Amino acid sequence: MAAGGERGGAGLPRQYVFLLPECLKDAPKIKSGLMFVKLANPCSGEGAMYLFSMCLQQLFEIKIFKEKHHSWFIDQSVQSEGHLHFATPMDPLFLVLHYLRKADKAGKFQPLDQVVVDDMFPNCVLLLQFPELEKLLCHVTEEKEIDGKKYYKYSKEKTLKWLEKKVNQTTAALKASNITVGARVQSAAFLPGDQVSRDKEEDYIRYAHGLISEYISKELSDNLSKYLKLPEPLPSLPNPPSKKIKLSDEPVEAKEDYTKFNTTDLKTDKKNSKVTAAQKALAKVDKRGMKSIDTFFGAKLKKKK
Amino acid sequence: MERSDEEVAGKQRVHVRPATLRGAAPGTLHLLPCEVAGNRPAPVDCFFTPAIRQGPDGLEVSFRGRSLRGEEVAVPPGLVGCVLAMEEKGAVMTGLKGKQAFSGGSENDDEDEELQPLERDFDRFIGATATFSRFTLWGLETVPGPDAKVRGALTWPSLAAAIHAQVPED
Repeated sequence: MAAGGERGGAGLPRQYVFLLPECLKDAPKIKSGLMFVKLANPCSGEGAMYLFSMCLQQLFEIKIFKEKHHSWFIDQSVQSEGHLHFATPMDPLFLVLHYLRKADKAGKFQPLDQVVVDDMFPNCVLLLQFPELEKLLCHVTEEKEIDGKKYYKYSKEKTLKWLEKKVNQTTAALKASNITVGARVQSAAFLPGDQVSRDKEEDYIRYAHGLISEYISKELSDNLSKYLKLPEPLPSLPNPPSKKIKLSDEPVEAKEDYTKFNTTDLKTDKKNSKVTAAQKALAKVDKRGMKSIDTFFGAKLKKKK
Repeated sequence: MERSDEEVAGKQRVHVRPATLRGAAPGTLHLLPCEVAGNRPAPVDCFFTPAIRQGPDGLEVSFRGRSLRGEEVAVPPGLVGCVLAMEEKGAVMTGLKGKQAFSGGSENDDEDEELQPLERDFDRFIGATATFSRFTLWGLETVPGPDAKVRGALTWPSLAAAIHAQVPED
């Protein structure tokens, strides 16, 4: 968002409508050190915006609600894109895990400042300034201490255990929040909580696994799926709705499926309640039930030019 | 928009002026069901605001001859709404004086404690121009229903809290 251009010559600078945690506003002693930086998204590896508070020692991710045909009136002005930005707390361990897994290729114990390095996103060094981070690392690494200096090595076993706990606590939150997680959710993203049949435990776990998968690599997501003993996904949809899906022996990347499904097929201008027979058929076929965070937000961001 | 090398290289940081988050005046926001091209001043209080009526099913107004129905939506608990705008490049290149004015005067005591300064001269600054605790959501002809995407998005922060909460140790 930082690089967003201004549209039109004589207009106002672009205005960003944000929902921020109250603590950022209320902390009386927040001085400097609240900043937006671009870091590698741990799932895709591409750049994404994060908000650092050095004072509160907290990291926030930025998610953007965007849907076609919206604009803001902000006091006495108009802002053409009706985007709504969310800054929500983010576990920094997901970001560090991205680097730990990269460094694991070397297969040895390394000090953290040699692990978290990035030519593309040099701001990742800010992560090292979180003193809490060292404590968190025990969830995903083996560590050694030599001459008072700590060395870390990625541990797959520990990471999977940690991710399982993440899935469990997300599952609990899903149950508490009345979000519909069963297959029907794909036809109507958000039904009110009074739907008749109850969702099954497995549906919740799949949904939570899908959410967590937005923060880890595809490979780790697949490993987690096995670890959680989720049934193998079907290799591909028999009737691919997306021309981006190539016909090959490779399993279709999950992300493509449901992103396309949710954003292109269902989140069109048509009312969600009007589901065509074809869409119903698709909903039946896609047994994964893995939900993406895109369910909450509009169409995927176009890549920045 | 021209970009500096640092911006392209992903080095740039955009610093929020903390004082503006506390000091910004309450603003009035409407989310319209149509795209209006351009970001510019608009006489909202001349045409839009005085035409809003309380109807039997929500607020009523019209825009460009089309009938809109709307309702007030509250910002989820624990969150605060604010409108951020990027400062012009170069506006802060006046050195320390400008920085102090924004950081609230006396609150710059530990600036030299950092080995590497958080603020570098190619960084940019963003400030809040308004805050809000609710906005008006508008739909064409009818109030956006419970399955409106924006309502789904507003449930995200509570779920994000669970995903990112620290897990207990064994």
